[in-house]
Amino acid sequence: MIGDVPRREQTGAVAAQVGVISALFIREMLTRVGRSRLGILWLMAEPIILSSLISLLHWLSGSDLPNGLPVFLFYALGYVPFMMFRSIVNRGAHAIHANISLLHHSRITLLDVMVSRNLMEAMVCSTVIALYMVIATLFMGEPPHQPALFIFGLTLSALLAHGLAMVLASAQVVWEWVEHLVHPFTYLMLPISASFFMLDMMPQETRELLLWNPLVHVHEMNRWAMFGDRVTPYYDVSYVLLWIIMLNLLGMAGLRVARVRLSISD
Amino acid sequence: MLELHNVWKVFESRQGRKAVLRGIHACFRRGQHVGILGRNGAGKSTLMRMLAGVEAPTRGYIRRTMSISWPLGGAYGLHTSLTGIANARFIARLYGLSLQRTEEFVADFSELGAYFHEPVKSYSSGMRSRLLMALSFAVDFECYLVDEALSTGDARFANKCLEVFEVRRRSAGMIMISHNASHVKRYCDTAAILRNGMLEFYEDVDEAIAAYQGL
Repeated sequence: MIGDVPRREQTGAVAAQVGVISALFIREMLTRVGRSRLGILWLMAEPIILSSLISLLHWLSGSDLPNGLPVFLFYALGYVPFMMFRSIVNRGAHAIHANISLLHHSRITLLDVMVSRNLMEAMVCSTVIALYMVIATLFMGEPPHQPALFIFGLTLSALLAHGLAMVLASAQVVWEWVEHLVHPFTYLMLPISASFFMLDMMPQETRELLLWNPLVHVHEMNRWAMFGDRVTPYYDVSYVLLWIIMLNLLGMAGLRVARVRLSISD
Repeated sequence: MLELHNVWKVFESRQGRKAVLRGIHACFRRGQHVGILGRNGAGKSTLMRMLAGVEAPTRGYIRRTMSISWPLGGAYGLHTSLTGIANARFIARLYGLSLQRTEEFVADFSELGAYFHEPVKSYSSGMRSRLLMALSFAVDFECYLVDEALSTGDARFANKCLEVFEVRRRSAGMIMISHNASHVKRYCDTAAILRNGMLEFYEDVDEAIAAYQGL
């Protein structure tokens, strides 16, 4: 038995890379779900609570949404894509410190760690969002207008978050204080991301200012994908793609700088 | 072969720059069992991480033409919130091994019994070290980097590890880093002393130990 060692199957570079990512992904899933089942439940419940409260305020104010848009769904589906963005950024920005012991395996790179963690988070959040979609379709008679476009929008927002998380994670290695900026930053993003309002409701100048934020484009597009022509969206996919490319390139360069500076001594 | 050419490692600290390794030249061949002796703080673990290729030297270069294990010692590379079997699967996926064969090998070698299905954080240090050695032997590395990991297991288990090295002698070598001269005498054929950031090689283990104890 002792001499009978499992032999490594000869594999190519691509298969080896897939092996590394899947090992990390499964480990991430076990720790994410296993350690905090309550965390997953909270991910489901938080948008319901928040959207109900906002809907209540909305109802008290006595105003209506244009074109008879459903109030609760308007807020809930405006918020969940933002929630995914925030969740990926918050967890991804701490990925290096949380996984430092993994770097003892020389075949694991920082990019592997980031990709597997953010992919996992995106999938957890998309599952929650899909459940909201099912509820909207079955119980509220509001099937999404263009489901494929909505999924595309979520992918864009996950890629933005992935790039930003890499930038923040590597910046933390160089400047420790960046760690304290992550939460306030995602917090402050909420009111300027067009999650709870439409650009159409805003005056011209405000609208133009808000359109600098790539997340606004994503949320406007998602809203149209959900409600169709009852809303007038303002978005430009190429502008979002430009941000994605910039953030991802910067993030990957940052990881290279961070790796050399990182000491994995305990 | 694992070759180090003028390897330096400098750390930035509050007291300024501190050179831990100052120009190390070394060559480790396949199947060699080499002990590296050094006092606490001599830079043993730093050297280990350089050899494993997980930290880059400040200056100089390291060339590897054999596969080298991750540093084995303490709980490096173990996920303490996961079970033993989940750790075995992780290693199998990471290094492209068959899941079932790896689980069997690790369960058998580590002798953890029912604890194999418990989280690693509930293990004693001896059990952790058994799991760690089993995980690393499950991958057919050509060189194992051992950082005192064998010293926490009992004598019978240490002998079992020795047996593995004996069986796989032709393909598997070992570099053992220790401050304990008797461990090096027991496991190694040649030895070196890490002192003042330099590595001095001795042909004979006894000679190295005598020099080390004279420090």
